[in-house]
Amino acid sequence: MEGRPEEDAELFARAQRGDIDAYEEIVKRYQQLAFRTAYVITRSAAEAEDAAQDAFVKAYRALASFRTGAEPRPWLLRIIANEARNRVRSAGRRQRLELRLVEGFRQGDAAPSPEAAAVSADERRRLIGLVNELEENDRLIIASRYFLELSGEETAAALGIPEGTVKSRLSRALSRLRERFERV
Amino acid sequence: MSELIDFEGRLSGIAAELDWPATPDLRAAVRRRIVARPAWYASRWAMAAVAVIVIAAALLAYPPTRTAIADWVNLHTSIKRTTSLSTPSPLPPGPLGRRLGLGRETTLSAARSAVSWRLLLPGSLGTPDEVYVQNLPDGPAQGEVTLVYGARPGIPVSGETGVSVLVTEARGTVDQNFFGKTVGPGTTIEPVTVNGHQGWWISGQPHVFFFEDSSGNARLETLRLATNTLIIDDGGTIVRIEGDLTRQQALDLAASLA
Repeated sequence: MEGRPEEDAELFARAQRGDIDAYEEIVKRYQQLAFRTAYVITRSAAEAEDAAQDAFVKAYRALASFRTGAEPRPWLLRIIANEARNRVRSAGRRQRLELRLVEGFRQGDAAPSPEAAAVSADERRRLIGLVNELEENDRLIIASRYFLELSGEETAAALGIPEGTVKSRLSRALSRLRERFERV
Repeated sequence: MSELIDFEGRLSGIAAELDWPATPDLRAAVRRRIVARPAWYASRWAMAAVAVIVIAAALLAYPPTRTAIADWVNLHTSIKRTTSLSTPSPLPPGPLGRRLGLGRETTLSAARSAVSWRLLLPGSLGTPDEVYVQNLPDGPAQGEVTLVYGARPGIPVSGETGVSVLVTEARGTVDQNFFGKTVGPGTTIEPVTVNGHQGWWISGQPHVFFFEDSSGNARLETLRLATNTLIIDDGGTIVRIEGDLTRQQALDLAASLA
């Protein structure tokens, strides 16, 4: 969970009173999460941008249903993911996911984390390739948890499943991915 | 187990190096679209009030249905109570529900196929006389189904509409806090439990209520038929039972939902 919950609470309270500047700050704060979540679901940057934009407009109109003091991320994610899923359904076709790794170290980038450094470049490329090829439910839950770095509650909201289902579904998806990873 | 944790570590390790497409700045576009609506749109109280006023103005300008429609939206402070269907003279021709703007008339089996959830029927009322499906752009995300019941023993029928009970279903959740704020003065809301599901018995003069549909959108709904309404949140399906019912009759109907 990102920090500054009190500031979020204040922003949402102001937005609920019709303060558009406050809502713009909410959009700024959560647009990356919204766009990337929609991207994982729609597999298209253009669709993800439209879905995220529509979701923020809908979220504004549904602000009164946001409970004071609640965590905004699950609430927003539910709206964003629904919007993205609706777009996938109406498009009637699926694009191939384009998740890739950054090629090489780019000047100005932060140094890789210790975890990243421990995994070789080849391994990382192979892993991301295998994730891209997973069956949809497996791919979505792994991308939500490890690439979008969502909590269990947030993953449940994004995927529209009960929180209790997240753990079991994730465990099965991980087992299948690991099996493929170790096959070669 | 530790191997699995290690594998999870590998996945987490590559998160920082994913080449995501650049996040577009959505602020200007979102602001433009929000301000395109009048400021009062964001206020649900005002929105509810405006909805009632607009409906009232439009309908009251149309004399033949003035009385009937006013009853549907509860613009009157009392509802006619009759124990049987009155003489047909005040009833306009055509199916009962068509006059209530419930959408497209269909059959029960077609309605079951048309929606993604399992339709719940109050068994104690028998088969509905009419079934309607509605999927409006501004309606609940997965549409709405309304079951129309004409005269039923022991349940007063609106002499103006010929309907005794309307059962409306949509996917969504009820926000009780918000719910309480929007039904307005002169209305009492009593939380009830039916077959383990949370519900609300609304009596008095409710005009509109809001719920959050399956896409997380707030939806304004107009109560069409009577002063008293029971709303049940049946595991993600909102079931609304409207009719000139006593509290016990409504609870009995809800208990027979299957």
